[in-house]
Amino acid sequence: MNKKREFDHTNKLRMDYVLLTAVLILLLIGVLMVYSASSVWSDYKFGDEFFYLKRQMLFAIAGLIGIWVMVKIPYFKWVNWAVVIYIACFVLLIALFIPGVGIVRGGAKSWIGVGAFSIQPSEFMKLGLILLFAKLLPQNQHKLPNFLQGFMPMLLLILLPFGLIMLQPDLGTGVVFVLSGMLLLFIAGAKISHFIGLASLGLVGLAGLIISAPYRISRIQAFLNPWEDPLGDGFQIIQSLYAIGPGGLMGLGFGNSMQKYFYLPEPQTDFIFSVMAEELGLIGGTFILFLFFIVVWRGFLIAVHAQDLSASLMAFGITSLIMIQVMINISVVIGLIPVTGITLPLLSYGGSSLTLTLLSLGILLNISRYATIK
Amino acid sequence: MRRIAAITVRKRLTAVFLLIAVYFIIMVCRLAYVQLISADEIIEKAEELWSRDIPLYAERGKILDRNGEVLVDNQLAPSLAVVPRQIDNPESVAEKLTDIIPISKEDALDHLTKVAAVEIIHPEGRKLSEEQAEQIRMLNEPGIYLAQDSKRSYPHGEQLAHVLGFTGIDNQGLMGLELSYDDELSGEQGALSFFSDAKGRRLSQLSNRYKPPEDGNHLSLTIDAEIQSIVERELDIAEAKYNPDGALAIVMDPDNGKVLAMASRPNFHPAEYQSVSPEIYNRNLPVFSTYEPGSTFKIITLASALEEKLVDLDQDTYYDDGDIKVGGATLHCWSSGGHGSQTYLEVAENSCNPGFVSLGQMLGEERLFTYIEEFGFGEKTGIDLQGESKGIMFQEEQIGPVELATTSFGQGVSVTPIQQITAVSAAINGGYLYEPQIVNGLVDPVTGEKIKDVEPVMKERVISQETSEEVRRALESVVAKGTGRGAYVDGYRVGGKTGTAQKVGPDGRYLENNHIVSFMGFAPADDPEYVVYVAIDNPKETVQFGGVVTAPIVGTIIGDTLRAKDVPKREGGLEKEYQWTDVPMVEVPDLIGESKNNLRHYLNNLSLDVQGDGDTVISQSPKRGEKVESGSTIRVYLGDSD
Repeated sequence: MNKKREFDHTNKLRMDYVLLTAVLILLLIGVLMVYSASSVWSDYKFGDEFFYLKRQMLFAIAGLIGIWVMVKIPYFKWVNWAVVIYIACFVLLIALFIPGVGIVRGGAKSWIGVGAFSIQPSEFMKLGLILLFAKLLPQNQHKLPNFLQGFMPMLLLILLPFGLIMLQPDLGTGVVFVLSGMLLLFIAGAKISHFIGLASLGLVGLAGLIISAPYRISRIQAFLNPWEDPLGDGFQIIQSLYAIGPGGLMGLGFGNSMQKYFYLPEPQTDFIFSVMAEELGLIGGTFILFLFFIVVWRGFLIAVHAQDLSASLMAFGITSLIMIQVMINISVVIGLIPVTGITLPLLSYGGSSLTLTLLSLGILLNISRYATIK
Repeated sequence: MRRIAAITVRKRLTAVFLLIAVYFIIMVCRLAYVQLISADEIIEKAEELWSRDIPLYAERGKILDRNGEVLVDNQLAPSLAVVPRQIDNPESVAEKLTDIIPISKEDALDHLTKVAAVEIIHPEGRKLSEEQAEQIRMLNEPGIYLAQDSKRSYPHGEQLAHVLGFTGIDNQGLMGLELSYDDELSGEQGALSFFSDAKGRRLSQLSNRYKPPEDGNHLSLTIDAEIQSIVERELDIAEAKYNPDGALAIVMDPDNGKVLAMASRPNFHPAEYQSVSPEIYNRNLPVFSTYEPGSTFKIITLASALEEKLVDLDQDTYYDDGDIKVGGATLHCWSSGGHGSQTYLEVAENSCNPGFVSLGQMLGEERLFTYIEEFGFGEKTGIDLQGESKGIMFQEEQIGPVELATTSFGQGVSVTPIQQITAVSAAINGGYLYEPQIVNGLVDPVTGEKIKDVEPVMKERVISQETSEEVRRALESVVAKGTGRGAYVDGYRVGGKTGTAQKVGPDGRYLENNHIVSFMGFAPADDPEYVVYVAIDNPKETVQFGGVVTAPIVGTIIGDTLRAKDVPKREGGLEKEYQWTDVPMVEVPDLIGESKNNLRHYLNNLSLDVQGDGDTVISQSPKRGEKVESGSTIRVYLGDSD
């Protein structure tokens, strides 16, 4: 076991620089674009067009420090603490429902804490699950094909927090959470037939969810035909397309977005990619997607070449979190799927999520130090 | 076991990675689709969302006469448009506006704070004067714009008002040609667009876009402004002189049915139509009014009888003893005592009612009414003007001997002026009945080229060339020697026919001393270029007889028109008095004590110059018993009988 904890000390800075470079470029673009997208809103709301920029820069710096710290902390230390972390996150999720503790933002009780120091327990829960799976799945891999003894317990570890997240309610985070958990089970070797059964069950559950919350129906209708009700639920999709379409091949140029002038709701968060595509064009948009693809690609490489299964699962879990959010966010923004309310990792304005993403990337980089990527 | 598991993990990672890669490609494709392929469609919609339009009104097409003279013009009159979101201090702006336009501060504030992208201050801010516009420009306030706009102006004032009609505050046609040709005149509104944010505030870093308005087409009429002026002047004079209930005039080119002038009294100014009652501007009398035509209708009877070769104007004679018995009723000639033995030419000259009854009887009801129909009576002429009436003809089953007889001299039927002048045009132009025409076509406002040409519509050939010539000869004779002498113009060959029709009162009976006097004249008689019809409704302080009131008006219109249009003087026409070697001398009758309304019975072979106010003749010159040439003018003075 000791062998695993060694890495090439002859090169102290050994890690996946391709990944790091892609992340840093994305971070830089993100900070600039948060400024461009938010300046109008920022000026209107706070009388300071740099309000969001300043805060985003602070979080970015905090995140960079976080990366540096994480790169130094051997990943398996996290695995050792996985159970504790998972339980702590779970408790926080429950705590949200204690009257006076959970903070309601945007119609969902997702935040806990005071002012700027508030956090989203569900964000941490995602990492907590990955760490727990990285610990449990390698030990129980041989039982995984067994539905009752292997698959079911793992599934419960996903579904219990998921239920709490959906009660907030936060569909976006819930979907990301479930998808990354399932993918981990799949990667670890769960039977495909179990997933098929689960998927059919999921469809039924999804139908139930949609029926239980009517706003989801209108969101889906709005997605199917956004022009039918351009001022209602189709509004966000239409506004996003109004930004992207005119961007054309080359874009309107940095800072020249029209849609950020109050047409797009909160252009610096969920719809920041619309503003990017508008200002930077198809070329810029494709470049962003390319950078994300690099991140995903390096994540997979690290997972494949990680020194043990636990590291593989951790690497893949962290990668999948970023990958799923990118795909969902961008798919919403370009009109491929209904509006779900998920931010774009590394680019969207949002302190805790940015910092947390960078921290998890730090872990991934740390794993890369032990991996044998040629 | 562990090894196999590791292989499974690696396989599954690779599979997932490949799926993800594919999905990234899908996203790039979708992005390219939105940004490249559907971009144009989206941009169009997006720009609609971003832009706020300040309307630029198209200039309404002008209305021109046949020679391009402007009858209805436009005059710049910008409108005040505001973009409420751009106004920093509505209170103070509202205050300033109250000094410039007639609006209360509260109303102004309402407009300035309205939740609207662009707000036109209506109606107080519409059609601003040059000074008001300048004052608003001087304000130099953000959010305050002057929208280019114009209003109608009328270089010829009230002239042709009924035909032209008028427009409303949005330059929309409301009446007359302005309404019926609204689409052609309107053009296409343009806009000055600027981009704004979702809160309506102007984004100054983006340039404005300008969509020029497309001006409306000019409407070219058949009207001749010069002739119209003559006609309007004459009606004004007649209005002042006779204080009639109404008056109307039409001038037509008989060769194609084109209306050269058309006027109606009471009149109004199109820019101030609201100051008169709708009855005034709604009633374009030349096409709206229907009444018994009276003797002018005899032209139709005469033309029909000649076409059927029933009489020879010079050879056949008729003896008029003052009345004629028809189906048990006795119809009187207007001339007491009758006209004695006359050729049919003289029957026409004298406008002898029994003589025309005899013509009607020769024709018979079927033929007479067929001709009447062929001449276009009983149906709308189809002129391109609103409010045209059909008139009333006897129903076939109603027609008995009396109806046949009265119709022959223009009583018992009801027709419109436009029907009459159109029918008479056919009677004198060789027999061709045209659809009366008022619009010549449309003119492109930019190139000045004609883009639509309205061709005259010939509806029917009613009578032959020879018959038409005979009608002209008879009617020239009426003016030279008969009841139409007042229309005689020296040197030009004028033909014509008087008309004096009784009006039917509300109870269905003829009104006493209330006539529509009219005259239908044309010139030159050998090749008519102008047909003129004038009717005066209930002229006061005069003998209500077409030969007295309207024949001179038509004479003046024809004379002035022919001179203005340089129509060469004719030779070989009938001279006014010297047709026969033995000029008949007539004895001046004793007119003193005669009532005004009976004077017309003496107009058989004398002209009267009536002067003074009153009902009874108190003095005359020359005195009774003197011999004067037939057709001489007797001056009579009216006074009160006691």
